[in-house]
Amino acid sequence: MNKENINPYPGFAEASDAKLGALLRESRVSPALPPRFQEGVWRRIEEAAAPVKVTGGITWLDALAALVLRPRLALATAAVLMVAGALFGVRDGSQSAHQDAQARYLAAVAPNSLR
Amino acid sequence: MNRSLVILLGALVVCVALFGGSYAVSRRVCQNCMAKSVSDLDWLQQEFHLSGVEMARIQKLHEGYLPKCAEMCAKIAAKKSELETALGGTTNVNPVAQQKLAELASLRAQCQAQMLQHFTEVSQTMPPEQGRRYLAEMQRLTLGLHEQTIEPSMSGAAGHEHHQH
Repeated sequence: MNKENINPYPGFAEASDAKLGALLRESRVSPALPPRFQEGVWRRIEEAAAPVKVTGGITWLDALAALVLRPRLALATAAVLMVAGALFGVRDGSQSAHQDAQARYLAAVAPNSLR
Repeated sequence: MNRSLVILLGALVVCVALFGGSYAVSRRVCQNCMAKSVSDLDWLQQEFHLSGVEMARIQKLHEGYLPKCAEMCAKIAAKKSELETALGGTTNVNPVAQQKLAELASLRAQCQAQMLQHFTEVSQTMPPEQGRRYLAEMQRLTLGLHEQTIEPSMSGAAGHEHHQH
């Protein structure tokens, strides 16, 4: 079904819209921009686009700290340390007990007054 | 302070505590376990890898030697006491004190000879190589002989304090 143009004065309507638009633009109150607004906008855009700058030391520390905080790695490290500590402890404990046993034998067969 | 640094320092402290704690606990447990059932002769069995039969012979020798050793020790202690009395209050070594010193030295020599005889008898109950090693080790520990010939692993108790009979 075709729609018929019911406006008998098409030229008049266009002129009327232009006038209305101009009136509306005039009626809008646009506040004054702060000083150096445009410069500030560009600066913020540049900052957002630029990569984050950090010093080398902090990056290294942060990476290491992040590594340390990984639960799996932390648990594995703790387990390894405990096992290593236990092994060294058993080794030293048995050596110490061996020396104590030697001292006990010596005390039995060779009193201090002879040595 | 930087947060990462705090985390790393904390982790380091935890690591040290974990290692140190497990080391101390296992060392103590190991020492306690090994010290529970030891007799005077356990060291011989461990160090010289002796059999039950050899240990039984050594045990017999040991039990025979101990009363003689205690008797000599008592004589030495009594002679020391006499020497102390002879030296008491004087500023020079008088003839009595000299005589006591000579008697004490003689007693010590007798006791050492008896001790060396015991070591020899014990060494003869061991396999030849272990017997030689035992004898050398005992001479080193009691008389200071063979100082250079003994391996460092066996020198642990040289500085230990021992009780007198």
